[in-house]
Amino acid sequence: MTDCGCDKAKAELEEYLHRELSDRDFKDITDHLENCEDCTGEHLVGVTLTLKMQKACQEKAPAELRAAILTRLGEPQV
Amino acid sequence: MPTALLERPVPPAELDSTAMSDTPPVQPAPELRRLFEEQALVFMDQLYAAALRMTRNPADAGDLVQETYVKAYAAFASFTQGTNLKAWLYRILTNTFINTYRKNQRGPYQGTIDDLEDWQLGGAESLTQGRSTRSAEAEAIDHLPDSDVKAALQSIPEDFRLAVYLADVEGFSYQEVADIMKTPVGTVMSRLHRGRRLLRDLLADYARERGITVPAPTTRSAT
Repeated sequence: MTDCGCDKAKAELEEYLHRELSDRDFKDITDHLENCEDCTGEHLVGVTLTLKMQKACQEKAPAELRAAILTRLGEPQV
Repeated sequence: MPTALLERPVPPAELDSTAMSDTPPVQPAPELRRLFEEQALVFMDQLYAAALRMTRNPADAGDLVQETYVKAYAAFASFTQGTNLKAWLYRILTNTFINTYRKNQRGPYQGTIDDLEDWQLGGAESLTQGRSTRSAEAEAIDHLPDSDVKAALQSIPEDFRLAVYLADVEGFSYQEVADIMKTPVGTVMSRLHRGRRLLRDLLADYARERGITVPAPTTRSAT
């Protein structure tokens, strides 16, 4: 098994996280992460940050806003 | 009297949306109205959350989402069915924000945040940390309340915040973020990278303030 090494992995972890790598590069990084605790730790911080943001930003639009928008769009013509 | 005259005349709008579907009317026909309600209004919560990140207050966020929907509705006839409606709506949202709200907030300074160096932004670049430090950092971030995460997002520069929000929270691809923000993909990548770096540092600060153990950045590996 070839290992792409920490330099390549660290440089591309963010693109890895965002699924922006080619299949080949994606596999290289996945393989490297399996064997490198240090890069796995770094990746874990990145994943945690993303999940945390997704969870924190889940506001619901107030009911008044929905009503106001429907009013501005005009009555539906049935 | 011929019976044909007694029949209900076909309203012009209905003709537009069926027989003449390839020449869309300026005013959305009833069919489009139904389609818009069905397809576009489901994104209201998401657009509102994004608008909150942009404007940073509920009143402006509400206005921004309203403007977005009014514009989107007016242009809906030109939207190509089957293409990415969510990205289309975010493009309108972002445009509207930049053209109206940002103008009010910004002074005469026309420079861009992308030109600033990392030290000017207060972000430490490429920390060399040990692996125990990293798992402690991940755990600390995980224990923070949502309010801290939102406060951190609020406090990073707007262009970084938008890129991070669109890619990380909304899951848009780099190319989609580039289209929405009208910047090259390379700029998106740089904004994402720097924005996330700043967030990480801010969240580590917040965690320390809350007494959650995060090794200080000064304890970078001594080697």
